[in-house]
Amino acid sequence: MTTERKDFTTRLDDALDRLPNGIEPERDLWPSIESRLEPREGQVARRWFWPAAAAALLVVGSSLLTATLLRHDEPLVARPAPAETPVSYAAAAFGPGQALDPAYDAARRDLARTLSARIDRLPPDARRKLEKNLAELHRASAEINAALELSPGDPLLEELLLSTYQEELAVLASVHQLTGVNGAGEKSDTTRMKL
Amino acid sequence: MTTRKPAAPVSHAAAGLAAFFMLACGQAALAGSPISERAPADPTGHVEISNTAGSVEVSGWARNEVEVTGTLGDGVERLEFSRSGKLTRVKVILPNRSSRVESTQLVVKVPAASSLFVNTVSADVRAQGVRGSQRLQTISGDIGAQAAAEDVECKTVSGNVEVKGSGQRSMLTVTTVSGDAKVSHVAGEVNGNTVSGSFTITAGETSRSRLRSTSGDIGLAGKLDADARIDFESISGDVRLDLLGPVAAEFDVSSFNGEIRNCFGPKAVRTSEYAPGTELRFREGAGTARVRIKTLNGGIAICNK
Repeated sequence: MTTERKDFTTRLDDALDRLPNGIEPERDLWPSIESRLEPREGQVARRWFWPAAAAALLVVGSSLLTATLLRHDEPLVARPAPAETPVSYAAAAFGPGQALDPAYDAARRDLARTLSARIDRLPPDARRKLEKNLAELHRASAEINAALELSPGDPLLEELLLSTYQEELAVLASVHQLTGVNGAGEKSDTTRMKL
Repeated sequence: MTTRKPAAPVSHAAAGLAAFFMLACGQAALAGSPISERAPADPTGHVEISNTAGSVEVSGWARNEVEVTGTLGDGVERLEFSRSGKLTRVKVILPNRSSRVESTQLVVKVPAASSLFVNTVSADVRAQGVRGSQRLQTISGDIGAQAAAEDVECKTVSGNVEVKGSGQRSMLTVTTVSGDAKVSHVAGEVNGNTVSGSFTITAGETSRSRLRSTSGDIGLAGKLDADARIDFESISGDVRLDLLGPVAAEFDVSSFNGEIRNCFGPKAVRTSEYAPGTELRFREGAGTARVRIKTLNGGIAICNK
């Protein structure tokens, strides 16, 4: 960078530093602006979106949990011991500033906790892959949430986020079902079966 | 009910000598006990098979019988082979406590029109020539199946799935976590979910398909029915559509951060001046079918041949 250009940059920085951080309006303009605004269809729909989405997820989650828990076929061998390590669990969010329905979050946490014992007894390779993929789902939802920070209300992002949470629940429910029917998680030690 | 137990245990010394002898002779010794069971079965009955490790091979035949052969692994408690009405059950039962259980290979022949349910932990599952509905699931084993006109459902955590159809219309559902899924010559409805596995459908005539992946790629190469409904969604995996024959569909394609490439129709446009999203909406031909593809970062390619 030349000396002349450097000087200019320094002067520009100084000038910018001298600018005020904010400009207070002479009067409160918002009430008159608000009174002229007509509610847009999308905004109205948006207000309904997250509560509806959370409710839908809660229903889906509860249904999956109930369906898999009720599917109680006879296991081949003994009952599993309590889990040593809990399944990977990350708190869910619905984009910036959107609180998750506590009931849904609790159902999701319960499902993860219920599954911990079974996941603990999966064949080591399958368990590693499952945990890696659950982490992948968490990473995906975090990435979409981050994108929603930049593009709040983007319908594509909202849709993808919703289905990512649904996918996580579906994976957990599938694992619950797969390990429950044939007692896959029932072995007491890793040397018992050549898997 | 028939119960087959493995061969009676012998002393450690004798077993050791036998093992040494077999190894010394360089022979491929087969562990376990041979299985040979057969029972009458309803021609349209239901057959349930469960095994833990090893393999399960099922084939449909013209007899009204279920036959089970193969090898029962050492350390297995017993093989349950029972019939109750239309249900025939083949189940490898493990002891409550054992330090070592060898894998079991099951070869099962069932009446061709039977419906089938196979469930394993790590055992691979193969089913062919079964015309009834099939529900095949395993945790880490691979699944191979032939689809006929009835519904087929395959579910696995880390195993791969391969389903070959006969061109007959049916509904196929595949769920994997990390396993790949390949589906060929299947007509009708194909639904699939995977987290990191790839999902490819080839040489079929699809009427309905809903595939969802987080990081795995999704691909469909084949014809679309006139009123087909295609719904693909991926977060970071790529989606590719290679359509055969004339295309008559409405396309609704969008990606937040991935590239959209298409060999026909207009080019994708930016959804916003300030955000990275692109979308592609157009109608091709009569536009009777619907194609909907959404991704976050995954690229999307659509071509016709």
